[in-house]
Amino acid sequence: MKKSDLESLYYKAPESLVRELSKKAQAYSVSSQKSSRLMGFRYAVASLGLLILGGIYHFASSPSFEERTVQEVVSSHVRSMMANHLTDVISTDRHTVKPWFNGKLDFSPKVSDLAQEGFPLVGGRLDYVESRPVAALVYRRDQHVINVLTWPALQGEKKSLFQTRQGYNLFQWIDEGMQYWVISDLNANELKEFVERMRK
Amino acid sequence: MSSKKQHIALIQHLDAGYNLARWLTRNEQDAQDVLQESFVRALRFFESLEEEDPKPWFLKIVRNTCYTWMKKNRNPSRSEPFDEETHVPDEAPSDPEFLLLLNADIASVRTALESLSTEYREALLLRELEGLTYEEISKVASVPIGTVMSRISRARVKVQEWLEKSKKGET
Repeated sequence: MKKSDLESLYYKAPESLVRELSKKAQAYSVSSQKSSRLMGFRYAVASLGLLILGGIYHFASSPSFEERTVQEVVSSHVRSMMANHLTDVISTDRHTVKPWFNGKLDFSPKVSDLAQEGFPLVGGRLDYVESRPVAALVYRRDQHVINVLTWPALQGEKKSLFQTRQGYNLFQWIDEGMQYWVISDLNANELKEFVERMRK
Repeated sequence: MSSKKQHIALIQHLDAGYNLARWLTRNEQDAQDVLQESFVRALRFFESLEEEDPKPWFLKIVRNTCYTWMKKNRNPSRSEPFDEETHVPDEAPSDPEFLLLLNADIASVRTALESLSTEYREALLLRELEGLTYEEISKVASVPIGTVMSRISRARVKVQEWLEKSKKGET
């Protein structure tokens, strides 16, 4: 018997099965986060009388601010795809989309024209994240919808991130005092290209 | 969040789980079913796990799922009846690379391993292929360390006997 024989006596899990179970593990993580969020909420309600104590517990047990925002952005994207509420204003012209937000928000979102680069604008809608109304801009690459959520950043906020969550790719950054969240089922490479074009 | 990282960490033990399930059930499809079932169970109970290393814990779940599954689906008498000797060897079995020292081709070794009773087979493969310590194997199989040692040395003897017999049969 050689060392290589020994290796071939070892049965490795089929790749397709590993992939499937990885998804399960991931979904499990997300749902257990949800439940811990719910627990935090229940606790906060139960200890309403003990406001300070309750407050401390909630702060310690609930997901971080950033984590909550990620969840809300993912939810916003999923909702926009299923509720037939992708856009409030349908237009490929940024000079139509940008003014549409006037009077609906206390800021004016930056709307880029990326049609030449293969990311045509579809429209915009109002959404609600971090307890405030935000602008959602909708772009497309082929059949993939790209949601761009934007709102003013808090003072001193600087972070940027890339994550894959529930199969969606997610980029976030802050530019000139504005917070940008890009989310799509588009592959990470092409989405990154989109982000680079936007940031130019 | 920490729970995410931990659940994901279970994935790295899928190969070990599959290898065990595949050797115990001796069938590809059954091993896949067992692994799926075990993994879902592991995910559910993972948060209550207090031990540091999830590998023996996960393998124990796989093992128990295999045994339940075999009881339900197959007549266990297909493998050689299990006659455990109660005597415990004075020392741990030596030769960590027992399989490597065998003068036999891989197909014969595989058949020899498959001919072992389930208890011997699992002890031997967890030691030789998975590289677990006796202590870890005793956790996986829920038996004392002495029993693990005796199973491993008996399994080695049986494999050797089987290989000699089959060689004689060939000539």
